[in-house]
Amino acid sequence: MNNTQGALTDLTVLDLCDEKGQYMGKLMGEMGARVVKIEPPGGGPARDIRPFRNDVQDPNQSLHFWAFNTAKEGVTLDLEQPEGQEILKKLVENADVLLESFDPGYLDSLGLGYSALSAVNPELVMTSLTGFGQDGPYRDYKTSDLVAMAMGGVMHSCGYDDLPGAPPIRPSGGHGYIISCNYATIGTLMALNWRDMTGEGQHVDASIHEACSCTTEAAMPTYIYTKELVKRQTGRHHGVQPTPKTLCPTSDGRYINVFAVFTSLDQWLTLVRWMDEAGMAEDLTDPHYRDMAAMRLRAGPEVDHAFVVVKKFIAAHTAEEIYRGAQGRKFPWAIVRSPDETLDDAHFAEDRGFFAEVEHPELGETYTYVGRPYIMNGTPWRTFRSPLVGEHNDSVYGEDLGMSPDEIERLRANGVI
Amino acid sequence: MRKHAVEGVRVVDFSWIVAGPTCTRILADFGAEVIRVENEQTMDYTRNSMAPPGSDSPNMGGLFNNLNRNKLGVTLNVMHPSGMELLHDLISVSDIVVENFSATVLKRWGLDYEAQRKIRPDIIYVSMSGFGHTGRDNRYVTWGPTAQALSGLTYMSGLPGEDPAGWGFSYMDHTGGFYGALACMNALHHRNRTGEGQWIDLSQVEVGMALTGPAILDRTVNGRSFRREGNPPGNRAPNYKVAPHNTYRCRGEDRWCVITIFNDEEWRSFVKTIGAPEWTSDERFATNEGRYDNQDELDRLIETWTAEREPHEVLHKLQAVGVAAGAVQTPKEKIEDDPQLRHREFLPKVEHPELGVTEYEGQPMRLSRSPWELRRSSPLFGEHSQKVFGELLGIPEEQITDLMVEGAI
Repeated sequence: MNNTQGALTDLTVLDLCDEKGQYMGKLMGEMGARVVKIEPPGGGPARDIRPFRNDVQDPNQSLHFWAFNTAKEGVTLDLEQPEGQEILKKLVENADVLLESFDPGYLDSLGLGYSALSAVNPELVMTSLTGFGQDGPYRDYKTSDLVAMAMGGVMHSCGYDDLPGAPPIRPSGGHGYIISCNYATIGTLMALNWRDMTGEGQHVDASIHEACSCTTEAAMPTYIYTKELVKRQTGRHHGVQPTPKTLCPTSDGRYINVFAVFTSLDQWLTLVRWMDEAGMAEDLTDPHYRDMAAMRLRAGPEVDHAFVVVKKFIAAHTAEEIYRGAQGRKFPWAIVRSPDETLDDAHFAEDRGFFAEVEHPELGETYTYVGRPYIMNGTPWRTFRSPLVGEHNDSVYGEDLGMSPDEIERLRANGVI
Repeated sequence: MRKHAVEGVRVVDFSWIVAGPTCTRILADFGAEVIRVENEQTMDYTRNSMAPPGSDSPNMGGLFNNLNRNKLGVTLNVMHPSGMELLHDLISVSDIVVENFSATVLKRWGLDYEAQRKIRPDIIYVSMSGFGHTGRDNRYVTWGPTAQALSGLTYMSGLPGEDPAGWGFSYMDHTGGFYGALACMNALHHRNRTGEGQWIDLSQVEVGMALTGPAILDRTVNGRSFRREGNPPGNRAPNYKVAPHNTYRCRGEDRWCVITIFNDEEWRSFVKTIGAPEWTSDERFATNEGRYDNQDELDRLIETWTAEREPHEVLHKLQAVGVAAGAVQTPKEKIEDDPQLRHREFLPKVEHPELGVTEYEGQPMRLSRSPWELRRSSPLFGEHSQKVFGELLGIPEEQITDLMVEGAI
């Protein structure tokens, strides 16, 4: 199978999302779908998000926007004008999917809700991603990434146990929305599979609060089954009982995450041998520790002491030396990298070709972007840069909808596009 | 009549712990027939984590039950020739194979993609390993926290100048699971159209890297590393020049709320709602710029108001005037005291033979025509061996008993 086109190549997707939902369209566009991003005239608010290229604020140069809007075409359209509403309906006639993240009820108030759009195109899959869902007592509550991570319980599990007074921490990077877009995109594809089987479209109602609420690993089952609450611990798993700190500083100012020392007897003996070769095993060669390792003990004075000695060993080496040395011995240890430090990792950057070179002809530049989240060996992944504001107005309205240049000019002059 | 979105799709599920089971949980919840293939020698340790003290039952793991509901479970010994034969038979009648072992395991079993294709030409095979199946480090080993640390996500979480706080759980196991499911759905879409299957090579570290787009561009476009003074940004807004935007201490032990204000109008609503104490008229706080430049002091003053209140009072009072605020909710509050989750029936219940009637986390996307459904609790160890090998593969009962005796099942 040597497909030259992606798995979703037959699909046309309309993307009306703001910051909350924009990642969905990227995931589908990079799998081959034709994604048309629809923004208000002048561009949407997601173009105001930092950082900017050369720190100059410009709607076409938000790096945040670039990162989450690749593989899309872009048009402008004022949905609050009747003419804009008619144009959207025309686009819906030939679309497979519509993605939106407006407040619940907003599109309905414009006559563009699911019932209206499914009347235009019964096979349409429409996905609505909102802070709390389309109904319920919180349906009109506002969200933000921080609110989502707080309400959903992610923050209850993340933070410090050795920094008095420290608040729960929201891991940065916009993950409340990322988690939600991952789920909502899966839901969209579920609906498309249903359509493949039955010919029917449907509405997908996705809630950011719910997406975060089921992304806290053991926190929920721990309460459901033991009635205990997990507690935050610095740089490692939440737990009901405290566990030793796993962040180990290195000689070059980095950290290694050691995860656990007593994972199995074999691994323990290998570790002690490695430390002994460097003359740094101290008393860990004592058979007493063998027994602890054989029992896979996770906490207690022996574990604490072993960690102290292991930390001294790590502190005498660079992060790279420990990482390669540990992985060569099958320990799941890792360097705590800054995200951009992955650019220098040959396994990902060279051997697996993870990163993508993306052309910006409008700037005469090519920049390195993050690449595909998985390799689909039968259907290619692709990407291209995010659209400039209204970049595809002429081609979408002219070629797809058959409008004349005069007509497009009139819409532009009237602020409809 | 057809009811579920992926009804009729059969999945052979070798996955274990959290990442793989998260992927197949999504498929099972939307109607796929997911058959967990397990083995006594390498039992999923979540089968008995959280079990009551003294219990040695492999069926009382709460995390396991939460992740594996709606699935069937069989036992199979792939090291036994008859066990391997059964596995081939199972793959021949299935659509998807999912595993999250280290990169070399299935190859060692003689079941890499090419081998699976010979058994089932349109099979969709999803391998979820730490480093992927190709590349110089493909034998390296990961847990969720390893992938988080290497991809940069651990470092991005924390207060500036302190140790990284990281993620308090295996976020990369969740996300690996999401992308496993997403890849399955992409591949099913392609197969519906062309009849072709394929192999998906998913690396958990790359899944994490894929989420760091803006940080990578800041380096490749602006030459600026995320590793710099002021990072990680704590709970402040890293991508907007706005304030207030932070966590605030509330009344009670370890109780916190969050308040995020993005413009002057929201600020004025906030001021009015908290009764316009004198400090709010300080002209430095009148504009977004001024609030941003003086946010240490602003945050301290806001905390004088929140410290007198419970997190949910802050939530409701501020949301009533259109300010995005929230409570840092505990699992207990989500389960027992979240009217939104209750209204949306997000935590349905079903009975498990050993654990009784308990709540299960729902799926956060509601499909109007083909919704997810909680149909059953997780499989007891080997619960469906008779059903799957007998009904599905047509093996007579006495032969199944023989296979059990010789250790193939």
